[in-house]
Amino acid sequence: MTYDSPHAHVPGPVFEADQLVKEYDDGRVPALRGITLRIEDGEFVSIIGPSGCGKSTLLNMLGALDRPTSGSLKFKGTSIPDLADPAKYRGQEVGFIFQAFHLLPTFTVEENVQIPMFELPWSRAQRKKRAGELLDAVGLSHRLGHLPTKLSGGERQRAAIARSLANEPGVLLADEPTGNLDSQNAVQIMDLLCRLQTEHRITLLLVSHDLHVASHANRIIRMKDGLIVSESRPGDVTHSPQA
Amino acid sequence: MNFLTIVIRSLWRRPVRTSLTLVGISIGIAAVITLVGLASGYEKSVVRQLDVIGIDVIVSNMEGGMMPKAFDESMKAEIAKLPDTEKVTTVLMQMLSVEDAPMMMVSGREWEGFTWDQLEVEEGRMPKDASEKAVVIGRLAAEVLKKKVGDTVQIETDEFQVVGIVDGQSVVENGAIILALPLFQEVSGYQGKVNFIDIKVPKNTDSGRITALCEKIEALFPEVRAVKAGEVVGTSQGFRIARAMSWSTSLLAIIVGVLGVMNTMLMTVFERTHEIGILLALGWKRRRIVFLVLCESAILGLLGGMVGVILGAGALKILELTPTIRGMLEPDLSGGLVIQAICIAVGVGVVSGLYPAWRSSRLTPSLALQG
Ligand SMILES: Nc1ncnc2c1ncn2[C@@H]1O[C@H](COP(=O)(O)OP(=O)(O)O)[C@@H](O)[C@H]1O
Ligand SMILES: [Mg+2]
Repeated sequence: MTYDSPHAHVPGPVFEADQLVKEYDDGRVPALRGITLRIEDGEFVSIIGPSGCGKSTLLNMLGALDRPTSGSLKFKGTSIPDLADPAKYRGQEVGFIFQAFHLLPTFTVEENVQIPMFELPWSRAQRKKRAGELLDAVGLSHRLGHLPTKLSGGERQRAAIARSLANEPGVLLADEPTGNLDSQNAVQIMDLLCRLQTEHRITLLLVSHDLHVASHANRIIRMKDGLIVSESRPGDVTHSPQA
Repeated sequence: MNFLTIVIRSLWRRPVRTSLTLVGISIGIAAVITLVGLASGYEKSVVRQLDVIGIDVIVSNMEGGMMPKAFDESMKAEIAKLPDTEKVTTVLMQMLSVEDAPMMMVSGREWEGFTWDQLEVEEGRMPKDASEKAVVIGRLAAEVLKKKVGDTVQIETDEFQVVGIVDGQSVVENGAIILALPLFQEVSGYQGKVNFIDIKVPKNTDSGRITALCEKIEALFPEVRAVKAGEVVGTSQGFRIARAMSWSTSLLAIIVGVLGVMNTMLMTVFERTHEIGILLALGWKRRRIVFLVLCESAILGLLGGMVGVILGAGALKILELTPTIRGMLEPDLSGGLVIQAICIAVGVGVVSGLYPAWRSSRLTPSLALQG
């Protein structure tokens, strides 16, 4: 199976899940118990729910970081578990942002941003230039040569965001991106993500257990015990999306 | 930054472990260099000796291991009658412990035979005749035995006067004690026996005729082998055993090296599960991760090989100076052996990286990220 190249316009949803189930430890831990959802192109969707309800698991399935146990999961009409080249999908269609940043500790900020570019036929100079531009866009151009350990949490997440955009993905999957940050840095990171989402018309899926963070989205999906329990659109009714 | 930077950065990250692994591989490679270098040095020294003396064919009984079994010297007269034998001479050669030297080549040579010709007297003189109770010694042997002209040297149960110190233009000759055949036959208890007949053929005799000569000799005397000088090293059992022993000992050292690198690479892969998870999440193909691990282990091998060659070369140099080896052979570190050793080291690296690389490519990205 194949899928279309980045930014090719395919009518219909970006993601489509139907009765998606994921069980760990031979079925003893049901993390997702039948998720059905649709995510449209360019949407900003928050997934919210208590710790352990399966948010990260869902994001991992969407990002082809793991395989579902059953059910169907499609990206632009192509089954994600059946992708011919999942590495290409992870590297070029989606970008990941994690709560723990997941920067490589022995590489400088600039080098970290270059890591995803190694699967592209780019020259060393092209990689360097692109990394510089990306770090500039997240306000880290003064930190290019620093190791991640020398950065504050907010700066590390900026670096990770720059890295997630390295190959111009159409989708960003952000798993609690502000979970390790203080409130001031959290606000800045959310501003940055919102700005990037509108500027690049990226489909953004943001997992959080913080309602305040989640309410930046166009749509909020609530999960509990591996199931979606409700959906709301904060802009539609009220600032409190409580159903 | 390029791919190699990534490889080197990972190795550099654990300097202690990387260096310990390097020590492991380099000891293995140093063993290869030393043992094989000694064996091939031995071969080369002998070839050179034959060449300097001008021996074209050697007749001997090859079964005796390092020193062939003795046979009756009367064989010489028969061989000398054959065509294409310009000069024929007999030698009785033994490896003996002489005074403080544990192993010394003692060569009893037929008086006036051509094997005396290339010896140049550096000090003193040659023996007056076959009955003078005298020896000449090569200059390395003189150093090892700490003898000057006029001293005496004890061989087996008898004493001989050192009348000259000679340069025989090859390590083997210079490390030997040389005396007239009958004297040596008597002290060694090999009266009437020799273990080599050396033949010189007329200049420009073609190789086919020399082969024919060898065949004739072997037909006449089935108990001996006649071998062209250039083929001695290839056919002699002694050389073959030496070579096989040096390689098989080396093989053990190499296996130890493989286990060391494999252990290191496995630990590296286990420790870096999380990092590999990140690389997978960032779109790195499994193939590239396998390649990363293999490159790391290959570079470990390459570096270990280079260090090993240096260590081995050092060991050979030291051996060259030890009295036992000195004068017996010239340790040989050829370019070919260096290349071979480094290829082996890189091979060791790659082979040891295969399993860890395969392990790393089996990881599920989400689980690797959690762990
Ligand atoms: N690798 C795993 N093995 C076993 N159980 C897991 C694994 N990963 C997650 N789980 C379980 O699956 C459930 C959902 O986890 P997760 O998706 O991480 O929740 P959330 O991100 O919403 O906090 C939890 O009960 C968790 O313990
Ligand atoms: Mg989670």
